[in-house]
Amino acid sequence: MAETKKIQPDLSFIRGVMAAGGDTVNKCYQCATCSVVCPLSTEDSPFPRKEMLWAQWGLADKIAGDADVWLCHQCGDCSAYCPRDAKPGDVLGAIRINAIKHYAEPKALADLLSNTAGVLGTVIAAFVVWYIVAFLWSLHTGIKFPFPDGEVNYHHYFTFIPIDIVVLPIVGLVVWASYKGVTNFWADISKGSGIVSYTGTGPHPPLGILFTKYGIPAFQEILSHKRFEECGQTAERAKGHKLLLWSFIMLFIVTTVVFILNDIIYVPFLHEEFTPMPQWNPIKIFANIAAIMLVVGAWLIIKMRKQKTAEGVLKSSEQDWILVWLIFSVGATGIAAELFRLMNIGGIAYPTYILHLATVVTLFLAVPYSKFAHLLYRTTAYVYQRYEDDMKAGKAGFGLEVPVNPVGPPPAEEEKTEESEEPKEEKS
Amino acid sequence: MSESILVIGGGFSGITAAVEAAEMGYDVYLVEKESYLGGRVAQLNKYFPKICPPTCGLEMNFRRIKTNPRITFYTMADVESVSGGPGDFNVSIKVRPRGTTPQCTNCKPGEAAATTEIPNEFNFGMNTRKALYLPHPMAYPHQCVLDMQSVDTSEIEAIKSAMPAGHVDPSQAEETVNLNVGAIIMATGWQPYDPNKIDNLKFGEFENVITNMMMERLASPSGPTEGKILRPSDNEEPKTVGFVQCAGSRDENHLGFCSYICCMATLKQITYLREQSPDIEAYVFYIDIRSPGRKYENFYKKLKEDEKVHFIKGKVADIQPGSAPGTVKLIAEDTVGGGKTEQEVDMAVLATGMQPTGAETKIPGIEYDDDGFVVPKDGIIPCGCAMRPIDVVSSAQSATAAALKAVHTLVRRAG
Repeated sequence: MAETKKIQPDLSFIRGVMAAGGDTVNKCYQCATCSVVCPLSTEDSPFPRKEMLWAQWGLADKIAGDADVWLCHQCGDCSAYCPRDAKPGDVLGAIRINAIKHYAEPKALADLLSNTAGVLGTVIAAFVVWYIVAFLWSLHTGIKFPFPDGEVNYHHYFTFIPIDIVVLPIVGLVVWASYKGVTNFWADISKGSGIVSYTGTGPHPPLGILFTKYGIPAFQEILSHKRFEECGQTAERAKGHKLLLWSFIMLFIVTTVVFILNDIIYVPFLHEEFTPMPQWNPIKIFANIAAIMLVVGAWLIIKMRKQKTAEGVLKSSEQDWILVWLIFSVGATGIAAELFRLMNIGGIAYPTYILHLATVVTLFLAVPYSKFAHLLYRTTAYVYQRYEDDMKAGKAGFGLEVPVNPVGPPPAEEEKTEESEEPKEEKS
Repeated sequence: MSESILVIGGGFSGITAAVEAAEMGYDVYLVEKESYLGGRVAQLNKYFPKICPPTCGLEMNFRRIKTNPRITFYTMADVESVSGGPGDFNVSIKVRPRGTTPQCTNCKPGEAAATTEIPNEFNFGMNTRKALYLPHPMAYPHQCVLDMQSVDTSEIEAIKSAMPAGHVDPSQAEETVNLNVGAIIMATGWQPYDPNKIDNLKFGEFENVITNMMMERLASPSGPTEGKILRPSDNEEPKTVGFVQCAGSRDENHLGFCSYICCMATLKQITYLREQSPDIEAYVFYIDIRSPGRKYENFYKKLKEDEKVHFIKGKVADIQPGSAPGTVKLIAEDTVGGGKTEQEVDMAVLATGMQPTGAETKIPGIEYDDDGFVVPKDGIIPCGCAMRPIDVVSSAQSATAAALKAVHTLVRRAG
């Protein structure tokens, strides 16, 4: 077919990638060394060579429909062997930062949380808001503000009521934004690989099957860090990351248990606070271990990133630093607040506690709007990869045992150009 | 003031420059570090543009040297230093002892007496030579060399007594020659880029991963296999051969530039294989095939029509052992067809690039750029691959131009 396709480069997309740390993208001359040396690249759809081409040409829609971007852990193996020093690993990192912005709603929050000043401003604003809430609550309880009398007890400031009033709406926003982002992402990558969109028309797997058949193995792989640990140049980074992930899971468990015990059982029915727990309480011990893991994990990542950035193995963008320092601050302020409480130094303990709450809220808010969103999209990509493999092999396990007739993008967009090499198209 | 010209390097460029300058009526000194003239071209089986053996260009030039009294040449000689300026350079040259006299042209008796097998550098170590040897059958000067470093004195004595009296002379000592010249032509050429530095291509790990220069020696009638291309591990004819283009070239981790000749060298070597046996298949993995000019482009076009020759657009970035003994698997991404591709071949040829000798051996008083190419100065004129990576034809042209520039330097000074 001799029809030609007019490439319409999205210049703002190219600029966005270059600004986010992918400024080397134009050096690439498509030798494909990267796709071979990458320990995570797949047989049928190797990356990151094709992504480099799409990014150079500003083919934003191609990139949007590409789940492979999220299978990269930025180990830097490709960058080490790249003959042009085009740093594909860093370019993919930059593409991911842009993708997170692309799927974020409202965008203003993504803009705010993607720069250091914005994050610091958010922490300060949250700090002020928590103080105002504490002050208003003190009017209700009659407890002295800002330094309550007696032994340091953070319940002098808040019970679960003011905390939940502030936090639950944020939880709602985060859940909504995450849902929107993930479903839009899923629709895009389905379109990109020519598989019927889960959210679109046509057959789609029941959510239960999607979860049990593809979700659970994906989660198991993520928990084990199997793929991350295959990274060559920066394999040690996986250690810090694993600590962080497990720490977050443990803290999530603690928070949920305490929420149920305290906010649902103890206070409403027994009219007493479940917290602070004594240090020997198994839940407390569990929580303290998780807190230490959080700080150590974040510190390992900071150290590793600094070293590898200095060695030129990988670039670290502002977003990389924001996230890891924010996590470190959450852990550090949490541990400090606990220590000052035990030491009973109210003058420092209360402000530290407020600062801790401010960093926690900021970090939580950052889930769909910052680099933190990789937990949403990478997880989705891991699930999608399994689902896609089965779909293309015609064994999705929900009554689609025969090969699925893929619904590709409209033919006009599908026309191959001279450079068109997307392997997935070969199968359609 | 000096009216003479020094040419450093006795390869195709240096010989051409020396002959051209001498035939214009200038005294020329030619300095070569090896024991023979002819340089890298002498190692080739055939070369462009005529795909003829090296003798076809070199013989004629050797005769021009022989018959021209204005040319004085030194082999086994290294330029130690260069000082002064245009019209008046002082050059110090160290000439290593050859250990033989000019009548020593047949090494056979000495070779029989010698016991130590020494890796033959002319054949990249693919066979051995003795301590008394002729560098290669068409070596010019046609005079044996006594390698006094690699063997002990008793073996040297044995060689000496086996040879006719007066042929071998171990007592020769190193000499220093000081010259005053008006201009210097730098024709120091190139060396094959060290394939051991390209760790992902596993040279040295697999016996049947060779370089393109080794392939030239395998194909050459004077080579270790007498011109039959056999793979090193078992001396069997390879039925499938993979060519790995840009092995080290166009790579900022190795040679940041395109070596210009490797694509054509590969295409030429495929013709060796296809002529040797009709069922040999070749696989070429490339980023882009660079066949500059109409002649080279036609050469490429013709090979593309051969159904036993396969071109895969994608650089080999990993080599793994194959399923059968001795075979290797070339791993690349086929950027046109899509997906990773693994090609098992009986032998793989790394198309290693040309590194200017200035990258590792620098002559004091000469300026080099970051890659090791000679920076031109008034009176110091680079040509051939000391200037930039080029083919033999362009080297000869640049050598003629360099000869003219050298003459300019002298004439201008003389006023």
